[in-house]
Amino acid sequence: MRPMRIRLDPWPVDIESGQLGLATFGGDLIDIETPRWAAIGARPLPAGLRTVYVVDGKRRMESRVFVEDGHGGAGVGGFGAYVVGAVSLCPHGTRQAELLSVRAGRLLAHAPDLRLDPCTLSPRHPHTGQLEYRPIPTDGPEPLAPLHKLQSVMLQEEQELSHGLASAVPFDEQDDREALSALTLQDGTLRRATNFGGAVVGYVKTMQTQYLPPDRVGLLGQLRPGERTPIMHLTSETGKTTRFTWYVRLCEAEFYQHPMSGVMRLEMYAPEEPDFLPPIVKEVANLSGTLLCRLGSKAHKDARAPQNLIPTAALEHAMNRAMGSSDLVARRIRAHIATQLGREVLA
Amino acid sequence: MVLGTEDATPVSFWFSVLPGASVQMDDLVAVQTRKPNGAPVHFYGIVDHVRTRHEGVSFDSDVQDVVAGLLPASVSYAARVLVTRVDPEDFIPPQPGDEVRHATGESLRLALSADKMDHAFAGGLLADGQVLPVNYQFVNGESGGHINISGISGVATKTSYALFLLHSIFRGGVLNTRGEGHNTRALIFNVKGEDLLFLDQPNRRVAEKEGGVQARKGWGQGRYARLGLPVEPFRDVQFLAPPKPGGGAIVPDVEQRAGGVVPFVFTLREFAAGRMLPYVFSDATSSLNLGFVIGNIEEKLARLAGTDTAPYLTVEDWDPDQDVLLDEAVRFDELGKTRLETFSQLIAYLEYKLLEQNDGEGDPKWVLKQNQGTLRAFIRRLRGVQKHLSPLVRGDLSAQQAAQYRPDLLRKGIQTSVVDIHKLGAHAQGFVVGVLLRALFEHKEKYGRQDTVFVVLDELNKYAPREGHSPIKDVLLDIAERGRSLGIILIGAQQTASEVERRIVSNAAIRVVGRLDLAEAERPEYRFLPQSFRSRAGILQPGTMLVSQPDVPNPVLVNYPFPAWATRKDEVDDLGGRAAQDVAEDWLR
Repeated sequence: MRPMRIRLDPWPVDIESGQLGLATFGGDLIDIETPRWAAIGARPLPAGLRTVYVVDGKRRMESRVFVEDGHGGAGVGGFGAYVVGAVSLCPHGTRQAELLSVRAGRLLAHAPDLRLDPCTLSPRHPHTGQLEYRPIPTDGPEPLAPLHKLQSVMLQEEQELSHGLASAVPFDEQDDREALSALTLQDGTLRRATNFGGAVVGYVKTMQTQYLPPDRVGLLGQLRPGERTPIMHLTSETGKTTRFTWYVRLCEAEFYQHPMSGVMRLEMYAPEEPDFLPPIVKEVANLSGTLLCRLGSKAHKDARAPQNLIPTAALEHAMNRAMGSSDLVARRIRAHIATQLGREVLA
Repeated sequence: MVLGTEDATPVSFWFSVLPGASVQMDDLVAVQTRKPNGAPVHFYGIVDHVRTRHEGVSFDSDVQDVVAGLLPASVSYAARVLVTRVDPEDFIPPQPGDEVRHATGESLRLALSADKMDHAFAGGLLADGQVLPVNYQFVNGESGGHINISGISGVATKTSYALFLLHSIFRGGVLNTRGEGHNTRALIFNVKGEDLLFLDQPNRRVAEKEGGVQARKGWGQGRYARLGLPVEPFRDVQFLAPPKPGGGAIVPDVEQRAGGVVPFVFTLREFAAGRMLPYVFSDATSSLNLGFVIGNIEEKLARLAGTDTAPYLTVEDWDPDQDVLLDEAVRFDELGKTRLETFSQLIAYLEYKLLEQNDGEGDPKWVLKQNQGTLRAFIRRLRGVQKHLSPLVRGDLSAQQAAQYRPDLLRKGIQTSVVDIHKLGAHAQGFVVGVLLRALFEHKEKYGRQDTVFVVLDELNKYAPREGHSPIKDVLLDIAERGRSLGIILIGAQQTASEVERRIVSNAAIRVVGRLDLAEAERPEYRFLPQSFRSRAGILQPGTMLVSQPDVPNPVLVNYPFPAWATRKDEVDDLGGRAAQDVAEDWLR
């Protein structure tokens, strides 16, 4: 009998879920690149790939409110902020990385059928700028509806940003108009069923679901940095979403960590019929090991290294900053209400 | 814009520099903020710190990722301002976000408090080429007086800056606006080399040097033009030098300059009547008894001098032995009196009175019961300076010669007097400085302050050291403490202010610092410099000075132009500014 072995999940415990979850997967998985289940080495970055975008989004509920609209309507709502942004970088390292369109949008999500004007919160100190909240009706009256509305607005913006930036992916044999020149890395799964058609890769840092059957899982522990598994075609349990997916290793696992600790799953939009692998998807898969090894962070700098990529960490930082301090925003909201009610309060 | 991540206070604040703009240390800036009631408050200050850093990254090693293009980061370029003035004097802080602008024109005048100065002269050029005004009333003694310059010799160019200030005062127009142009004078002691003996000669290299600076900075006019000063050597200069040792003709003891240097001598009678003896001794306090002997002999000599005016002294009671040196020069006439004509005869006479008369007992009235050791020490010291003072103090002159060679620092038509003492020994230098300054001081005590006299003296630490006591130091202290009300302004310089009598340095209204030794810069004498300036003083280049004046609470860095006067013989423009070929053609014609 083999002795019991315990190894660490590399992520700190205060992060909501560990890197490893390993729920079983009930959907379909089809080999589409090759039936031979073995590691594939990383290829160098093609010279034609000039720009890589790293896209992420964040949202924050700032206050729950009760609104009366002055026309007899009333309902619950919430002040919320969301931000999506991108880092634009040259994968060959020929220029400095830049932050693109990291700007907070602010919403006053409210129960449907209210008539509200945009809400402007002015500071008492003239140097500190105004906050503008755009009113937007929620889909229903339930208490979590404002949060869901905020989330869906954010996702919408994130997708538009991702696909607007990336090269288009052709989805049949005849179409070869465009070579891969711009690639977008999006934090997390691709989330939506609709395919906008851009070369967008979702990178999933955690392994909440174990998509691979037990006889294939072993390869994940054996991958060397930069190597990947073959591409598979994946259909979800509900059958609504289809993806191309593959795994990549970013760094060696430490001896005390579980063997999948440096591994990340990537996915791209796929058509429902699992018969055609677009050349761009294969090209992306080939370069993904090289690219992600360069972008991967170091453990002493980021608790979620290497999966939390260097540009993503910087982007998250910038996004948090763009939304502002939640304490200050809450104070500003209170002060705004106070001035409307005719009371003096410091903002 | 004023930063909100660092404290902004009424005396110091940080501001960020927008992309495309640049700020360097010593730039003057202006900020306007508004009080809650809308009234504006202006802050003027000088940049004393500039820095850049990556913003948005947390690790030092992130710079590699930023340069490799992986990590987006921005560069924060910020500068710290030391406020020199708040107008009106409402000491509220500036607000984060207030705009910071380069001070030019009117705001520059306000930044440097020039509006408070009724009479100002140029103290040099700021880093951006604007002129630093220095309040003349803090120089000439009306509100304050004296200038003190510190710095390592050689690279700090203390004397050059002192001369530049004089040039700026004399020729910059401030005297004319006050109607004092003809009365204001300067007395410069030349303590090293013969550098200052060419002040009245144009400098051959000035056009080339200044042209180079002008081209490098891309300015439309040269530094002299910016300062409003003529490119000219000093005018109305007299050069005084001690005579060459050895008897015979009195010729100045200088080598490089052939003409125009006037030798100066004191007669033996002036020496006695003028009570110059104490100035021979720089360490009179080393023993109380010695001081007593000096005082006693000084008194006796003064009596001996009487009211006569002949250059020599006569004594009745000395019949020098035939084997005493210099015997053949001793004359017996004038009713049995012996005539003392040289300094060594005077020493021999004193030796006789103190140690030889009465079979080695000495004249009791002269000895006054002092023990022999003290008396011997007295004579020994006199012998020590004999070599240097003999040419200077003499009685073998005609009355006419004595009058001709008497140093007259306030001679009509002379603006600048250069006294060359670099060849004298240390004691003799002290003697000349002490005697001349005391004469000047006594003259001014009699006639009052209306004519300002600037005294330029390098190596103050030699004449007025912090430790000990000497008559020369007393004169300098008198000048430092009372000279300003008498119109004697000391432009003193030294390598290390920490070694100069504190009261002399602390009386200076204008303080200037050139390159300093960093250990020296941390001494309390330099507390008037903010810390960042103290560390900067170690890297100042020649031609750059930090100037602190009472009207501006923070020192200002200035540079000043290459001297328009020759500072060495090889700089003398002996062609009169013309090309060599033109001059040669003149000769051939």
